[in-house]
Amino acid sequence: MSKIVVLGAGIAGHVAASHLRRKLPKEHEVVVVSPNSNYQWIPSNIWVGIGRMKPRDLIFPLAPLYAKKHIDYKQAKAISFYPEGDNEEQKPYVLVEYVTGDEKGKQEKVTYDYLINATGPKLNFEGTEGLSPGKNKAHSVCTYTHAQEAWVALEEVIKQMKQGKKVKILIGTGHAKATCQGAAFEYILNVEQELRRHKVRDMAEITWISNEYQLGDFGMDGMLLSYGSNIMKSNEMVEMVFEDRGIHWILGAGVNKVEDGLAHYETLDGEYKQESYDFAMLIPSFSGHGFKAYDKNGGDITEKLFKGFMIVDADYTPKPYEEWTVQDWPETYQNPSYANIFAPGIAFAPPHGISKPRKSKNGTDITPAPPRTGMPSGITAKLVADNIIEMIKNPSHELHHKGSMGNMGAACIASAGFGMTKGSGISITTYPIVPDFKKYPDTHGRKLGKTFGSIGLAGHWLKLALHYAFIYKAKMKPFWWLIPE
Amino acid sequence: MTRRISKYKRFMMMNPIVQFFKFIFLSLKVLVIVAGGHGGTRKA
Ligand SMILES: Cc1cc2nc3c(=O)[nH]c(=O)nc-3n(C[C@H](O)[C@H](O)[C@H](O)COP(=O)(O)OP(=O)(O)OC[C@H]3O[C@@H](n4cnc5c(N)ncnc54)[C@H](O)[C@@H]3O)c2cc1C
Repeated sequence: MSKIVVLGAGIAGHVAASHLRRKLPKEHEVVVVSPNSNYQWIPSNIWVGIGRMKPRDLIFPLAPLYAKKHIDYKQAKAISFYPEGDNEEQKPYVLVEYVTGDEKGKQEKVTYDYLINATGPKLNFEGTEGLSPGKNKAHSVCTYTHAQEAWVALEEVIKQMKQGKKVKILIGTGHAKATCQGAAFEYILNVEQELRRHKVRDMAEITWISNEYQLGDFGMDGMLLSYGSNIMKSNEMVEMVFEDRGIHWILGAGVNKVEDGLAHYETLDGEYKQESYDFAMLIPSFSGHGFKAYDKNGGDITEKLFKGFMIVDADYTPKPYEEWTVQDWPETYQNPSYANIFAPGIAFAPPHGISKPRKSKNGTDITPAPPRTGMPSGITAKLVADNIIEMIKNPSHELHHKGSMGNMGAACIASAGFGMTKGSGISITTYPIVPDFKKYPDTHGRKLGKTFGSIGLAGHWLKLALHYAFIYKAKMKPFWWLIPE
Repeated sequence: MTRRISKYKRFMMMNPIVQFFKFIFLSLKVLVIVAGGHGGTRKA
């Protein structure tokens, strides 16, 4: 009998736990430890942030589902890792702390045979002075509660516009090394469309602020994509959309401080500037959770497990951009020191960025961190689950299931406005996610055809269809596993 | 605001009939990318 402990019930953790439970006989234990009582379909948060969906449309409680599916669930957060056990506990374990109910504050040693760390990112608001959801008129859509608060504030601003007030709206990244530009991109286009729907578009100046060097970088070094019968750069596509929608942009901007209605930022030219606003949505930087790890004797071995995020089978040797290869990226998400620990989704430490690193004239790094979106998070979680199943069946087994972001495609269906007849979406697929400049030297590291863009109403329908499909899948309804990650 | 998308293009982008077929096409295309699989990069 094996016990598999999954930390986190986001996209990666939930995918891993549900596949493990479906494929493993009942004598094996699957335990999920996560502090949030609800599952949330994060990609739809942007619609909560414009008031077109309610949080209840994208969340459901985990406890009843897990009880029904025989998945043990602890509403707790992991604190520290003991991959060799300690003087009292022979088995490896994770120290967790309950976050709710009578047990709140109680700590427990959760032992495991296999551990999946799917704790995603810490939303590092503290990394930017004054940036905190709902403070200083700056908001976030990173969780459904943040998104709901953003909508309450935006609705108020819309009311003011209706009364004749001209406003400034600022949306983008709130840190020099933030990632997740895609979410901010979706949000700015949705906000723009909502202002038109409320007939107040002419009352607002909307500005995109980003640490990207060029529009459409998305932390993926931009893309060369097929667009209809043309070949287009992603920056040209985004520029076309922004100009068409009257959205201004500020690029190469590392936001370093937020005051009431004022964002301070440094540019790649080394200038320090400010941008005022009445409503802002700024994505914070993502960081690791600051977990500690200890050996059997209590010695600190954090550096064996973590490099901010969790260390996996990547090549972490520092090297210049020109020497980056797809081979640097992990394939199995297994920790090299402890073969029974894995980290899929955002929880793994990437070997380096994907976008070309850039520093300001003052030496500040202003570069998007590499994104790990929903699709790769699900795919990497499933392959980790499959490898663990094989290891349980045959412990000496070599890991067969591999999925490097350098050999994996991703679809990013970015909402550009809500509505069954007036909505729009920008559908972009990329293959591979991490550009392979050796294989595809003439097309900026990606395969054309499989890397393509399309704009229109169908994109909105697709994003909405994915919303329902993935919530159906997450609820583990009949034949859920037929829906791919 | 600078018009960067022509009236014809915009019509095509928002026409429900054209977009219905586009929806099918996009769904299949995304499925192919996912079903196209994934793998390692270190061993050829
Ligand atoms: C607004 C927004 C929109 C997005 N839109 C898209 C999109 O359209 N398409 C797309 O592909 N991707 C999108 N993404 C990215 C996508 O949401 C992420 O790739 C995905 O959520 C990553 O999954 P994960 O499981 O690694 O992390 P998460 O989903 O963040 O899950 C982490 C889990 O770990 C738990 N946890 C945290 N700390 C602990 C702890 N100490 N102990 C135990 N558990 C812990 C959390 O509660 C959570 O359950 C979007 C992201 C945002 C923020």
